[in-house]
Amino acid sequence: METNLKSKAFQEFSNAAETLVNPVLQRWKDQGGKVVGYFCSTVPEEIITAAGLTPFRMRATGSTGTEESDAFYSSINCSFPRHCFNQVLTGDFKFLDGIVCVNSCDHVRRIYDNWKRFVPTDFIEMMSLPRKTGPDQVGWYTEELAMLKDKVGKHFGVEITDDRLWEAVKLHNETRRLQKKLYELRKQEKPPITGAETLAVMVAGTAMPKEQYNEKLRELLDELSGTEGPGGHRARLLIVGGILDDPAYIKVIEDQGGLVVTDSTCFGSRLMWVEVDENASDPISALAQYYLTDRPSCPRMYGEHDNRAQYVIDMCREFNCDGVIGERLIFCDSWLVEHYMLGQDLKAAGIPMLKLDREYLTSGIGQLRTRVQAFLETMGR
Amino acid sequence: MALIDKHPELARYITEQGWFEFLREQTLAMIEIPEMQLQVKTLDSLLKMYGRILDAVENDKPFVSSYYCLAPELYTAMDLPYYMVMQTPFLASSVPYLLTDIDAAEEMGLGNDLCTAIRLSIYYVEANLSPLPTCALNLLYPCDGAPLLHEVIKRNERWRNIPMFACDPPYYSDERSLDYFADEMRKMAKFVETNTGAKLDMDKLKETLEYSNQMFQLWDEYNQLRRNVPSPHGWGIGAPQCFSQAWVYEAGTPQGVEWFKKLVEIAELNVKNGVGPVPEEKIRLFWFDLLPFGWVFEFLPWLEEEWGAVMVMDMFGNFPYTMIDTSSEEEIWRGLAKRNLFDAPMVRQARGVADNFANDIARIVKDFKIDAVVWPGHMGHKDGAATVGIMRETCRDLSVPFVHLGLDLFDKRYSTPDQIKDKMSQFFRAMGLG
Ligand code: SF4
Ligand code: SF4
Repeated sequence: METNLKSKAFQEFSNAAETLVNPVLQRWKDQGGKVVGYFCSTVPEEIITAAGLTPFRMRATGSTGTEESDAFYSSINCSFPRHCFNQVLTGDFKFLDGIVCVNSCDHVRRIYDNWKRFVPTDFIEMMSLPRKTGPDQVGWYTEELAMLKDKVGKHFGVEITDDRLWEAVKLHNETRRLQKKLYELRKQEKPPITGAETLAVMVAGTAMPKEQYNEKLRELLDELSGTEGPGGHRARLLIVGGILDDPAYIKVIEDQGGLVVTDSTCFGSRLMWVEVDENASDPISALAQYYLTDRPSCPRMYGEHDNRAQYVIDMCREFNCDGVIGERLIFCDSWLVEHYMLGQDLKAAGIPMLKLDREYLTSGIGQLRTRVQAFLETMGR
Repeated sequence: MALIDKHPELARYITEQGWFEFLREQTLAMIEIPEMQLQVKTLDSLLKMYGRILDAVENDKPFVSSYYCLAPELYTAMDLPYYMVMQTPFLASSVPYLLTDIDAAEEMGLGNDLCTAIRLSIYYVEANLSPLPTCALNLLYPCDGAPLLHEVIKRNERWRNIPMFACDPPYYSDERSLDYFADEMRKMAKFVETNTGAKLDMDKLKETLEYSNQMFQLWDEYNQLRRNVPSPHGWGIGAPQCFSQAWVYEAGTPQGVEWFKKLVEIAELNVKNGVGPVPEEKIRLFWFDLLPFGWVFEFLPWLEEEWGAVMVMDMFGNFPYTMIDTSSEEEIWRGLAKRNLFDAPMVRQARGVADNFANDIARIVKDFKIDAVVWPGHMGHKDGAATVGIMRETCRDLSVPFVHLGLDLFDKRYSTPDQIKDKMSQFFRAMGLG
């Protein structure tokens, strides 16, 4: 399923999703701009932007194997960190000027330990992310963010003032609003953009300076508004899971007739459905409040499952979905248990769910096709 | 009406109790062996714990579900029975129905790559096979599995309305983290008071902690004895029993102190007589995990008999034995926070940055004259699996052989005992050990 999106803006997004260093980012580097990589959606990009740097969400696009990282990881580890650390070892991330890690999951948090010990890097930080989301934890995370701000400022020689932070918050909120507009278009009966294409747009947003991204996204929105896609899909789907950054995976699903019209994933709606409060008393606590509590959470956060399930159900209703696909990277404990619970919640809500295990690099396409087809059929589509 | 009819959730618990009574009978038959006298005492403590929970359910008395690394001395001081939700895999995985329950967990939709201890515990909760406590203290560390298990607990229809509290774990091990966690523990104790009606008398807690300090001190003394060549004990007695006494059944009791005294006495005698678990100790192993509780007897005796390989130390046997300063309330909470978050076995390695993997290996290899380090690679220990490079490098620097096995501590079908024996034999041969 394709929509024939031809615009230059979309092509740039699509290229950005297929590579680590896209031309916009390369230009930024060529002009002396610095880039800081970060793992996990709970790291506030705004602090990096406020320091005049470009935040880059870590992924392992373009990886072809794990030969180098196999000595550091085991076969029971999630394939995302294994591919990602492999690229660290082969030098694919040399374009980064710093790294911010967080204890997001058992697999990814060890990238910090391995990176720090085995790959010389000038700036690598680890933040302590709470498991709970109450006021005490927001307090703790506020301190964490304040410390990160100081360290980034000191290392890169910038004074990160409140004004700069508020500016960054506004800029990133603008990104969120634009992305949300794009999602709104997908509520149409014949959405002008597919799920795979949307993912490319979202991934690109984590790999280029936000001003330029916003400009291009505005262009794309102008192009799409008032248009329709080809329609003809068999079902409208929501996809829920973790680090899904490969549009090709969604394309396989859509090629079977299941149009992905919305999601709850790390590169999807969870990044932007809610905004940072611009009227809060200070930017650091506003960011802590947002990243820990206000934004839709993932199973990393304890005590939030009911809210997460409700979020998926609400999104299904808002986007008129016929079913849900839960994707999980093999060996991911968090998403395994989350999907186990979510399956029960969706059943109670009368929404069919298909659970799919996958590897980080899209493979086993034949089996994926068969499972999706069977799922669509069970839904009578 | 039988207790089980009124409380079907006790089905497994009562069977487990029966199983331990049976094991006690078996052990009694060997009572002339001093170590077996201690095993009987351990089983007595365990059975007392089971009895207290069943009595609490039957007579509507308060009890809590909690964990070894959530300050068990508090419950002793409050005279509150407690049990661990993950009790079956950790303390009772010799029960004959373990594999059937693992299969049932998989059928429930929990797959086969999530830690079996977590899968089993989710199964017991979801299948209504876990005692329903007055209030629950949930665990959010050391791995991803633990908070997810408790998310299931929180959502389960029978547990939903049980009051719950969870201490939030910081990731670092600095003073700020210590204060934060001490505060969480303080809130936890308040929560228990409010929801059970039990009172925490600080004098009583102080007394309990003093007993507990004595136990840890004696444990440390015992470990010094294990430095001897030959080691006075192998896998048969040591960490699992010490752990269950100090952290679970007898946390901060005079009986616990007596148990440790007896252990030290027996070990001293063995050292004096130059006696160890095998006639000739050939290889001194550091087994860097829990024991493979689901299939201990099919593997560990073989290590000793076939190779003269003695498990001198394991992950649960040695950690910093920091005494808790009981001179002020402030210090008590900080001490509890330190012991339960920074020191507690498995938590100290898995919860934070990987430094303790390297530090523990270096310390233990040196102190215990270790000939080989075994990383069993339990399928649940994903953070450890991502630390193998660091462990291997540490061993290389120490010039001590290192082997990574890949197994499930609870399910012998994951890697069979024969496959593991084969890997161990190949390793020993390749390294010229034994
Ligand atoms: S998919 Fe799961 S295990 Fe893999 S990186 Fe994400 S949270 Fe970690
Ligand atoms: S055995 Fe390891 S992985 Fe399993 S619950 Fe314990 S810490 Fe987590």
